[in-house]
Amino acid sequence: MIGYAPGSEVSRVVPAFISREDEVDRLVWNPLCINNLAKYLLDYRHEPGKVAVVVKGCDSRAIIRLLQDNQISREKVIILGIPCPGLINPDLVAARLDPGAQITVAAVSEQDFSLQTGEGTFTFARDEALLKKCRDCEQHTPVIADFMLGEEIPPNDPGDPFVAVKTLEELPVEERSAYWDKQFSRCLRCYACRNVCPACTCRECVFDQAEPCWVAKANNLSENTAFHLIRAFHVAGRCVDCGECDRVCPVNIPLSLLNRKILKDIKDLFNVPTPGTSLEELPPLGAFTNSDPDEFM
Amino acid sequence: MEAYTISRDNLRTWLDTLARDYTLIAPVREEETVSLFKPVRGFAEINLGYTNSTVSPKGWLFPQTEEMFFFSTSDGQITLADAQTPGPAVLFGLRPCDIKGILALDPVFNGAYQDCYYQKRRQDTILVGLSCTRVERHCFCTSMGGGPTDGEGADLLLTEMDDGYGIEVLTPRGEELVNRYQQYFDADRENRVIPAREELGKKLARQFTRNVDTTGVKEFLDQHFELPYWGELARRCLGCGICTYICPTCHCFDIFDQSPDGESGVRSRCWDSCMFSHFTRMAGGHNPRPTQKERVRNRFLHKLKYHRDRYNLDGCVGCGRCVTRCPVNIDIRQIIADLQEVARHD
Amino acid sequence: MTKCHCRNPLKPYPATIVKIIDETPDVKTFQMVFDDPEVMENFRQKPGQVAQLSVFGVGEATISITSSPTRKGILEFSVKKVGMLTSALHRLEPGNKVGIRGPYGNHFPYEVMKGKDLLFIGGGIGLAPLRALIDFVLAEENRRDYGKVDIIYGARSMDDLCFKYDILDRWPQMPGTTVYTTIDRTEPGWEGHVGFVPAYLEEINPSPENKYAITCGPPIMIKFVLQALEKMGFSDDQVITTLELKMKCGIGKCGRCNIGSKYVCLDGPVFYLSQLKQLPPEF
Repeated sequence: MIGYAPGSEVSRVVPAFISREDEVDRLVWNPLCINNLAKYLLDYRHEPGKVAVVVKGCDSRAIIRLLQDNQISREKVIILGIPCPGLINPDLVAARLDPGAQITVAAVSEQDFSLQTGEGTFTFARDEALLKKCRDCEQHTPVIADFMLGEEIPPNDPGDPFVAVKTLEELPVEERSAYWDKQFSRCLRCYACRNVCPACTCRECVFDQAEPCWVAKANNLSENTAFHLIRAFHVAGRCVDCGECDRVCPVNIPLSLLNRKILKDIKDLFNVPTPGTSLEELPPLGAFTNSDPDEFM
Repeated sequence: MEAYTISRDNLRTWLDTLARDYTLIAPVREEETVSLFKPVRGFAEINLGYTNSTVSPKGWLFPQTEEMFFFSTSDGQITLADAQTPGPAVLFGLRPCDIKGILALDPVFNGAYQDCYYQKRRQDTILVGLSCTRVERHCFCTSMGGGPTDGEGADLLLTEMDDGYGIEVLTPRGEELVNRYQQYFDADRENRVIPAREELGKKLARQFTRNVDTTGVKEFLDQHFELPYWGELARRCLGCGICTYICPTCHCFDIFDQSPDGESGVRSRCWDSCMFSHFTRMAGGHNPRPTQKERVRNRFLHKLKYHRDRYNLDGCVGCGRCVTRCPVNIDIRQIIADLQEVARHD
Repeated sequence: MTKCHCRNPLKPYPATIVKIIDETPDVKTFQMVFDDPEVMENFRQKPGQVAQLSVFGVGEATISITSSPTRKGILEFSVKKVGMLTSALHRLEPGNKVGIRGPYGNHFPYEVMKGKDLLFIGGGIGLAPLRALIDFVLAEENRRDYGKVDIIYGARSMDDLCFKYDILDRWPQMPGTTVYTTIDRTEPGWEGHVGFVPAYLEEINPSPENKYAITCGPPIMIKFVLQALEKMGFSDDQVITTLELKMKCGIGKCGRCNIGSKYVCLDGPVFYLSQLKQLPPEF
């Protein structure tokens, strides 16, 4: 079973893998449970038995993604859905709480996060402390679950999720280009964005292939740009907008902005919901219908 | 050796001058939480208030991608031409942990086979250290034999003082640099600089949130290669290269050719990571480190044991970068503590 | 300021392929000569050492030097086509240019072996590194320093036997030398032994007395050969093997060929079995 356990300091929670009943006590659920655990299912594809996984609303879309891509079979997975009212920025927690403390009770209201430790209760204004990837949350309640742990949270209207994309679109092309050049030029090519991505499931990634060499190992703006654009197009229509790529990037490249641009275009073109929202709705670029225009095939 | 002081105004002018006379590499605030060492044109671009750059400054001496030589194979002949090297440089504002990181890289690129690329840059680069003014929550340099005002390895060490900066000259090369720009410096007649730095060091030493006890860990690892612990740890590892790329002591690289026309091109090297599966995968498919367990184990054994076996130096300087940036909280401080625990139950 | 005057160890010397011998359907032996005679003269490899071969535009690969240093003026590399670089090498022709740097790594302990009998056990392309030592001890100037030389060599089929001219013609004619050749399965036209190398070794049952066993081949063969040798009474200090790992720099910097704290490119590729047993099982 894949869930969350306390990490090395109060502000961190880690993916936990348990297989015995007496380990259940290790598991926690609080507003620091950031990691999307769905991708770890791939590690258990070929293991015997079933695997249970804890998912939040955003993460649950990744499960549908994996099921639709036949990466894992439905019978193999037990989905433990947790309706998630939003997560807290761990840096703010780290700034105020003793790193060695243990969170005993956590609560989230419309106004506040409140974390209780042995040293008292700490409250954080929700507006300020809400994690970046939660600000445009579409589905607090998982879209798929075998067991729903907790009360369902009705979807609220996060407003237009594409405000940042539109602002960028309105810039003159030179400025847009300069913006992305600045971002991509500092890419380390550590591949954390790819490795954390639930849409990245290729057995051998093109970026790892020696031959043919689509993108050279050289780290420079040209190769880095090629890497990011190929990746963005590769996950087009499959990116579930979980925000993990953005969160893990060590040099803060705004990857969800890039992915959301494509998400927006696909929504505009095909009038479809965010990928992974429904098991029945096939990805627009991964399905064929007779009504498809035949402009290029 | 000598100590001097420099006023804030003079520091500004000095750095502007240095940027003119040398390639000046200094910390730059790139984004809200990202600072990087980059070539700068003057003081205005520099962020001396940074605590720890996102990526270690090793990249100046050992660039992420470095052209080694050009080849041309026309007329059935091979011609090799050396790539340009950058020439005299000042690496300015190095935190003590990062200077120690350079000292950990030195023996790797030295030895029976001298790595000319690194050696050339190292010889051409003056290292100017900068005492820390804050301890970040993931800093643990004092546990790894360093300290926030420890200038060992630098040519000059700057320490911020009330009315400017103190400068300690640590090597003849540092002395030369100060002499060249002596108009900006005042002699430390009242002997304030060293006591101020020592006082700062004591104050900062109390700010470390976590002390890591490495006692016995190396000895335990000498005896225990196979531990279930590594498998447990590796389950959550994403296999990305963050920890290795931002680390001041990781030195693995790959070598590759680029030849657009098939006749001439360039041979370069670039950082590589032992976290990647293809790092050790051989052409025939055999991989001596087939799963993430072996790769994670290799990285931490490298830091805690192998580097000491080979060079008698710690492979970790306690900068805390990997702790801050690991997306799944693989925390070397915790690993050291966990290994102590595993050893206790052994 | 001091200047770095060292010869850049990562920069290869240009060399020319002078001859290519087709050994098997996927192994070729390349004879190479440095373009600069002075470089050729100063390239002093010892048996067991490796070099980095460059095909410019494709890259580099570590290949063991299969010719003995007693053979002057030329270097031989036997290369099996397995990856990108080796495939590129296989496409080359005599007269084509390559790059060579090295020699790297340690070597077979030929000094220590003096006065001893030698037992070579090779499989497939694994004979390539052993051949450098075989030809070294069989060379006229060295032959009297060593005792009996036994060579057990096997491959999957007749086609897959490397160095047929050595194992079938040249070596059996050398004084004090016996060659035992085997193939995995019977084949028309083959009158020699049939069976796997470890089994053949047990059949021959050589005495460990005053002897070193030197082995190289596919991992599975080595595993059973080592077991067989142990059963025959060979101590771990009498058994020597040579390893192959992915290497890039060849000079102990790029970090990928480590087994524990040892770098195969610097501290290997040649190891006594007793040394190997001290290392973690990551090879």
